[in-house]
Parts: sequence; structure tokens; C-alpha cells
Amino acid sequence: MEFAWTAEQEDYRERVKSALDELLPANWFTKYAPQGYGSDDQIDFSREFCPKLAERGLLVPHWPAEHGGDDREPWDQFILAEEVTAAGEPRGPQYMNVNWIGPTLMKFGTPEQQAKHLGPISRGEVIWCQGYSEPGAGTDLAALKTKAERVGDKYVVNGSKIWTSYARKADWCFLLARTGPERKAISIFLVPMSTPGIKVTSFPGLVQNGHLNEVFFTDVEVPVENRVGEESMAWPIITHALSFERVGVPRYFHGLELMNVAAELLKREGRFNDPIVRSRAAKVVAKFEAAKWLTYLVVDQRAKQSPPTADGNIARISAAEAVCDLMNFCMDYLPDILLEGDAMLADFYRANISGTIAAGTYEIQLNLIAQNALGLPRT
Amino acid sequence: MDFDLNDDQEALLSSLASIRQRYSELPSEERRARSYFAPGLQEALYEGGYFDAAQIGGLEAALVVLAIGESPCVAETGASALVVPHLDLPDRRGPFALLSGDLTKAQRFLPVARQALVDLGDDVAVIPVNADEVETVETIYAYPYGKFRRAPSLAKAPRLGKAAVATLRQWWRVAIAAESAAAAQSAVDFTVDYVKQRHLFGKPIASFQGVQHRIAACHQIARGMRFLALHAAWTGAPYDADVAASYAQQHMQKLVFDLHQFNGGMGVTNEHKLHFWTYRLRALQAEVGGADQASLDMADRLWGAVA
Repeated sequence: MEFAWTAEQEDYRERVKSALDELLPANWFTKYAPQGYGSDDQIDFSREFCPKLAERGLLVPHWPAEHGGDDREPWDQFILAEEVTAAGEPRGPQYMNVNWIGPTLMKFGTPEQQAKHLGPISRGEVIWCQGYSEPGAGTDLAALKTKAERVGDKYVVNGSKIWTSYARKADWCFLLARTGPERKAISIFLVPMSTPGIKVTSFPGLVQNGHLNEVFFTDVEVPVENRVGEESMAWPIITHALSFERVGVPRYFHGLELMNVAAELLKREGRFNDPIVRSRAAKVVAKFEAAKWLTYLVVDQRAKQSPPTADGNIARISAAEAVCDLMNFCMDYLPDILLEGDAMLADFYRANISGTIAAGTYEIQLNLIAQNALGLPRT
Repeated sequence: MDFDLNDDQEALLSSLASIRQRYSELPSEERRARSYFAPGLQEALYEGGYFDAAQIGGLEAALVVLAIGESPCVAETGASALVVPHLDLPDRRGPFALLSGDLTKAQRFLPVARQALVDLGDDVAVIPVNADEVETVETIYAYPYGKFRRAPSLAKAPRLGKAAVATLRQWWRVAIAAESAAAAQSAVDFTVDYVKQRHLFGKPIASFQGVQHRIAACHQIARGMRFLALHAAWTGAPYDADVAASYAQQHMQKLVFDLHQFNGGMGVTNEHKLHFWTYRLRALQAEVGGADQASLDMADRLWGAVA
């Protein structure tokens, strides 16, 4: 056991930082980053930015060379993720492509699907959205009702998805649809968003405008060859993809950066000498530090190709609690952020209102820890 | 970065296995004790060289503290394994008591200590401790506590110098973090066993989701405490020690409340062993200024001291 970065990893981090310094425009932090990565501006920006990152070998470094990657270890993926997250995630929605849609296709996709999709993802040319949640199926994903009925060599999809980030601008949808009456008879389809019968609407919410979308599927025809895996056998694939999503975003890194922003704001206003405020701020930092080391534990397990454990869920709730504490800190001492205050803190706050809900709620994570780490019975 | 134990660390822990096994249970006459200091365990650790800084590093010392801390039997490990190796002491044989504040008040490990290190604020004094000068203090804290019958004279006590104060406090915090992590995980594990066996309304307590969630959250905290303690021991950086102590000490209240809650009435009896770990946590909660002071020290390092 030891906790040092290797010299190569430190060099790699510097390489990422230099690339971000060079590639991000001067107005990135004032114009784009505060809008959040569901905004039109950031999605459009990612179409220009990601190909440049890819040219430098920094979009999919952890992918195998045969799929456009650099065969680098999972640690490098996390170093990259830490730095781009701290920079306000200029990859926009493409963080999703490179972290779990691409890797899921590598593991479960057909050679044709891999040939068609992995190249554009690795070159930063494509935007995907995830068609998972529905008005009646979010946490209980297996309750989804969107149907895909087999008709000859096609499926005909009818139903709707909701909360679908990036859907307005996405080229493709990684769609879950019911293909049988059994509860988990679900299949995955790769669906072009330009397919006739797909309609996307946006609606306002507490998160920034443009993040919340509803996607309607009316007699949408999807070729059989666009199904991932066997019909009605998608559940293990979904579980695999979600396991990547749960620790895919290094929230601790962003949180630590933003606590520094909050401290600077309070200093500027002469309010950071109060020991109560200082102690509260540092306690939040300690929680982010714990989340960081618990996440690194999971990355180490991945790097060693160990089977997933409840440590992924532990890392996730640890980060979620730290994020909530930072949000509470802001509301206690910097309530102006939701009026005319710091835009980055405001975006962080608004984006994280659903942080304990998306990608498996906080309570689902606790269920999984209880069952898989502590051996408590399923309830 | 590697979270698996290396061969030397594996060997260290497997060499400890027989000692841990011997002290995994309380002697029958101590079954209803509030705490039990095991002199044989302390001796075995000294004789085995587990506090020998020349042979083991900071991380390995923390692993020893974590491993021994799982036992309901107490030994003084934090000071001997993690603090003393970083101070220039002529005689490193303990057990040690780490003292601060009013020396007429009760202090942890004083009744069993051979020496004490006293944080004077601007220096560290080293004083011998004679058992006949110490009066045992009854407490529900699960460590031996005692107070000097007469305040010790520090006038002639050897001093370690001003710089030793920061070193003492840093490694004391690492020791708190490591001891806490062991106690927290042991209390979680003990509670998990209990809620699986104990039935309520016709089914195991463990089957209630409201119980599961809170125990799972306690487990997450214990895991966080463990890795922050190990990291602080590995880096030897003052900031990391502050972080580890802040995290551990700010969570003790939740751990103690929730874990006692799920052990119900049994948890308030001495024959139910929960208190051997939860009341170690309570004992450690305020040491070196507690979570508030650790956090203020973190704040100074992160954002500069208050002008």
C-alpha cells in the first residue's frame, strides 16, 4: 500500500493542464463554464473542443489502441477527469461517451457497432444522450414502459423518456426499451436522434435551462442491428454501464476547487476570519478528501481489473454528502450565489440539486452497501 | 498508488495474527468491564518490535494501530507506534500517556503509563509516571483513565523543544484517526452481527431499510476514516493529519448515536460489548481540540491564518 502518484502520472497531469490552458478560450470561465454542460453553448463548444483534445490523445487515453485510445491505465482516465472537471467540464456531454457509452459498446457491442460508433466517439465528433428514465421509471429503472416491438428486421419504438440531458443536441440515443412482459425484459438500442418519430421538448426546472428534456418516441423504427446484446437481456449491461457512471465524475475535485472559490469570496468580503465559518469550510474539505481517497480505492480496483465492489457505492455517497455540505455552506454564508453571485458556484449548486438522485439515488447506494458490503438482507 | 498491502505489510499483519487471536476476546472475569487494558497485549507488542520505528514506517505503524484497535482489549498503541517514533526521546519504552491542559484532571492511559508526553503549548515535556502517584478514575470511556494525586513537577522534566509541539500534535491526530477508524469499523461490524440475530416484530432488525441505511452510512464513514488515517500516516504531512482528525472527530457523534440506537437496550449494558468501541470514540472526540480545532488548523494551512 502506498499513495504516491508515479512520475509518469504527474507528467500526464501536467500534460492535461497544459492542453486545457492552451485549448480553453479566455472567456471559457465567464461565458461557457457557468452555463453548465447541458446548455446549448457548452454542447456546441464541446463539438469544437473535443476533437482538439482527441488530436492530443487526451479524449480517450484509457481506451485500447484498436479503438482509438492510447492503452493508458484507468488512473490516467481519472487524472484527466479530475482536471477537466475542475475546469468546468469543457467536454460537455462527451464525458459520458468516453466514460461509459464507449466502454459499454467495447464490451457488449457487435463488431459492426464498434466500428461505427467508437471511432466518432474517440475523435470527439458525436454527442450522445441516455434514454433511461421515464416519468414512471427512474430509480426503479426496470419499471420502464417505453416499448420496442419486433416487426421483421426492425423494432418499432413507442413511449417517452424524461430528464434526458443533452437530448436537444444529441446525435444518438443510448435507449432502453421494454421488449417483453417480464420485469427485466429490457433491451438497449442505438438510435439516431434524427429518426422520424422522435420529438424532443425542454422544460424549465431548478437546474439550468436546457438540462431537462423529454423525448417522445412515436412509431420510431430501429433496425435490429442497432440492438446491443441479446433481446431482453440488457440488465447486466445496464448494471455495467451504471457502475462506471457512479464514480465516473470526480465530484471531490470540483468541490475542493469550489470551496477555494467560496473562501476567496468570503475573504474579499471580510467574512472569513470567523472561526465558525473557517471550521465549517474545512470540515467540508475533510469530507471531500475522504471522498477522494475512497474514489481512488475504486480506481485502484479497476486498474487491477478486480470485480466491482460496494466501494463504488461508498465512494459515491461519500462524495454526495460532501457536495451537500458545500451546498449548505453556500446557503449559510453565500446565499447571493443564487441571485447575482458567483456563477460557477451557482452552477455547481444548481447542477447538484439532483446529485443525490441521478445515476442511482443516495438510498439505492445505501441499499447496495447494506447488501453487498455488510451482508444485510434485501428489503 | 496501490491500495493493496505489499509483501512486507502482509507479513507484518500476519505476524500480528496470533497476538490478535489471543486478545480477540475478553478474559471471562472482565466480561462486564467498561474497559480492559491488557498488559500482556502491550508487552507482546513491545517484544514483537511492533513499535520499533527502525523496522516499520508510519503507514505500517498505522496498520498495527488499526489491527490492534479491533480488539475489545485495549493496548496503548497510538502514542507508542505513531507519535514517539517522530520525537527525539532517549527512552522509547511505554506505555505513554499524551497529556495537555490541566494536569490535575483525568487523562487517558495515565494509570498504565510508564511515561507521559506533556504538550505545554511552547514545548513538550517528558515525565516518568509512577503508578503509585496516579489515582484511577472511574469512567465509561473505554480506556484506562487516571489523574495525578499531586500535579507533577515539570521544572526538571526534559524538554523536547518548541518544534516538537507541532510534531506531537500532528502524530497525535494521526493516532486519533487510526484508533477511531478501528473502533468505528469494529462497532459497525459488531452492530451488523447483532441486527442480523436480534428479531423485532417477527423479523431481524437487519431487515428494516431504515436500519440498513444508517448502518451503511456508518460503514461508509468508517471506510473514510480508515483511508484518511492511512494516508496521513503515509505522507507524514501536517495537513493530512488535520484532515484525518477532522473527518474522524466530526463523525463520532453520528456513529455513536446510530450504532447504540440499533443495539437498543442491550447496548447500554456492560456485557454487550458495543461500548468497548463506541466509548473509545467518545474518549477521542475532543482530544487535541477535537474536530473544530483540527478544522481550524486545516483552514490556516489551506487559506492562510487569520491576520
